[in-house]
Amino acid sequence: MGDRRRIKVLISVIGLDGHFTGAEIVSRYLMDAGMEVVYLGIYQTPEMIVSAAIQESVDVIGISSHASNYDQIGMLLDLMKQNGLNDIPVICGGTIPRQHAETLLKRGVSKIFPPQSSSESIVNYITSIVKR
Amino acid sequence: MKRQTDYGYEIKPVYTPKDVSDISYEKDIGDPGSYPFVRGYYPNGYRDRIWTRRMTAGLGSSRRTNKVLKKYREMGQTQGMLVIHDRPSAMPIDADHPMGRREAGVLGWHGVSLLEFEELMDGIPLIGQSITLLGSSAMSCMRLAYIVALAEKRGIDLKEVHGSVTEYPFCHTFGQTDHMPLDLNIRLWLDSSEFIIRNKIRMRCGILSQHFQESGGNNAQALAVEIGQLKELLGLLVNERGLDFDDVGLLPYELVSIGSRFFEEIAKVRALRRMYARMARETFNAKTEKACQLLISVHTSGRTMTYQQPYNNIARCAIQTLAGAIAGCTAIDNACLDNAHAEPSAFAARMSLNTQHIISDETGVTDVTDPLAGSYFVERLTNEVEDAAYKILQQIEKEGGMIAAVKKGYIHNMMYESARKRQKEIETGERLIVGVNELIIPPEDDDDIPIQSLEASDSEEIAKRIEKWKETRDMSILKDKIAQLYKDAKKDRNHNLMPAIIEAVKAYATAGEIMGVIRMAHGFHYDPLEMIDCPFKLS
Repeated sequence: MGDRRRIKVLISVIGLDGHFTGAEIVSRYLMDAGMEVVYLGIYQTPEMIVSAAIQESVDVIGISSHASNYDQIGMLLDLMKQNGLNDIPVICGGTIPRQHAETLLKRGVSKIFPPQSSSESIVNYITSIVKR
Repeated sequence: MKRQTDYGYEIKPVYTPKDVSDISYEKDIGDPGSYPFVRGYYPNGYRDRIWTRRMTAGLGSSRRTNKVLKKYREMGQTQGMLVIHDRPSAMPIDADHPMGRREAGVLGWHGVSLLEFEELMDGIPLIGQSITLLGSSAMSCMRLAYIVALAEKRGIDLKEVHGSVTEYPFCHTFGQTDHMPLDLNIRLWLDSSEFIIRNKIRMRCGILSQHFQESGGNNAQALAVEIGQLKELLGLLVNERGLDFDDVGLLPYELVSIGSRFFEEIAKVRALRRMYARMARETFNAKTEKACQLLISVHTSGRTMTYQQPYNNIARCAIQTLAGAIAGCTAIDNACLDNAHAEPSAFAARMSLNTQHIISDETGVTDVTDPLAGSYFVERLTNEVEDAAYKILQQIEKEGGMIAAVKKGYIHNMMYESARKRQKEIETGERLIVGVNELIIPPEDDDDIPIQSLEASDSEEIAKRIEKWKETRDMSILKDKIAQLYKDAKKDRNHNLMPAIIEAVKAYATAGEIMGVIRMAHGFHYDPLEMIDCPFKLS
């Protein structure tokens, strides 16, 4: 993936969550920073996200979550492992309580951005983790 | 710091009589209880009727939410209850759907059948308090049928029940989980609304700007969208269903989002009362005063509640609740200190209800009606937000009205651009938020708050229970009712589906089944996610 010039990020809302504003705003931040964004929108299952990640060969997966039991983020990580996508970092954003955030980080999420995270912090983090 | 309203009008350092010289008190403001109702609908304000002080409930199983409602009653919530849907039931799909079982009970109550409603209301009165159920337009007909069925079971006259269990068809445009096609939602909305009006049921229908505003819209846009929705939807009831506006005008209530821009929020509510009253008279020739009075409830703004330093939200909630109280409203439910983390914990709920009671009982705010009337600043702001809103409304009408504007993506775009602008203002420091872009503390020093969480095992338990329970139902009655519903749904758009839905609900058909069959009759897949097939043979 090192020959591509632009970082490619998949942004999706997961499960039955209808809150799209955060995902749309973050997508725009990344595009403004020169990244390519594959925006899947709402009602995406872990299976749909993995399939899109393979097809689009993205560098990073960003999941927006506004309240859940957060199980589907875990399912996504498991499914990625099964499909040999372990090297693609998964970052999450949204209203994820600290206790759940810790569990998700242990399960393999690389970073969680709480509400009101700055565009700069998100862009810088993604730039720093993508192997060029 | 930016000295502008959230819709971009400059704010001056001082306001004088010159700023209100164009206002005629009698014509443009009027006394409380007089047209155009800027100052509210009751001559004596809260002395005549105190606002309903309530909290949102709903998480996990119906029994669990029932316990929370009982706890709220102990905390002083006796005038009215408010419950929201979980994600699967909002779609609507049942918990035994492959996607439903992953999120049953998430964010709300899994209200997919009369059984769930009976469990929710176990030991809780259906009358003597307002019953409000929210969270999905598609589910409006179902919720209304639950009320009809439970009132009948309890031997209660339906006319004694009051509250609101139906809501406007646009909520999925504004971030709510509801996967029904817009046109079908509009048709079902007409059915539930017509049923309420023709049967003279004291139930209101939520036609709300709150979802729009919480998803990014500003104050002037919220007014424009609200009036735009009301104009078109109420117009359909008059023109398509042949109802009299003096009856139709008693249907809507608005849930307005109140943020921390104290004076602007108050001005918005005052302007809304006037805009609605004028529309009722000028567009619909309303003859009664009642039909010119839009019932207004307040939700303190969830999006202003920060994840960082959550105890700061207690202060925000208090300021917003005070603004809602001063603006004049019929009910308040607060977003509270843990809003950016989870559904309200018992602690957060108590804080919110207590905040409302501190404001109603300790501050004197209920003594005097519309106490800010005559303030040069507030009257000027009231005029300005109305002026800005009418300009946006004109644009919406240029797009062909609210339904057309939603379909074209015009409304979504407006909301998105507004959310983006606000975010930019926060990033550049033009708007300050304590704990976010000023007075920041390291995350590891932040306070831990109690969290009401829901685990995947809770969702699975709800799913398993529904699977088993479905098999215990009397399938021959249920199949008959479903067949009748399918037949009715195939008839023309003006054939009201409420009677058939009520019969199916009484036979314990679920939301997935009832809405699935209605979907099929309209040429859609049974399952909004197209993963499962219809279990019934239909012809």
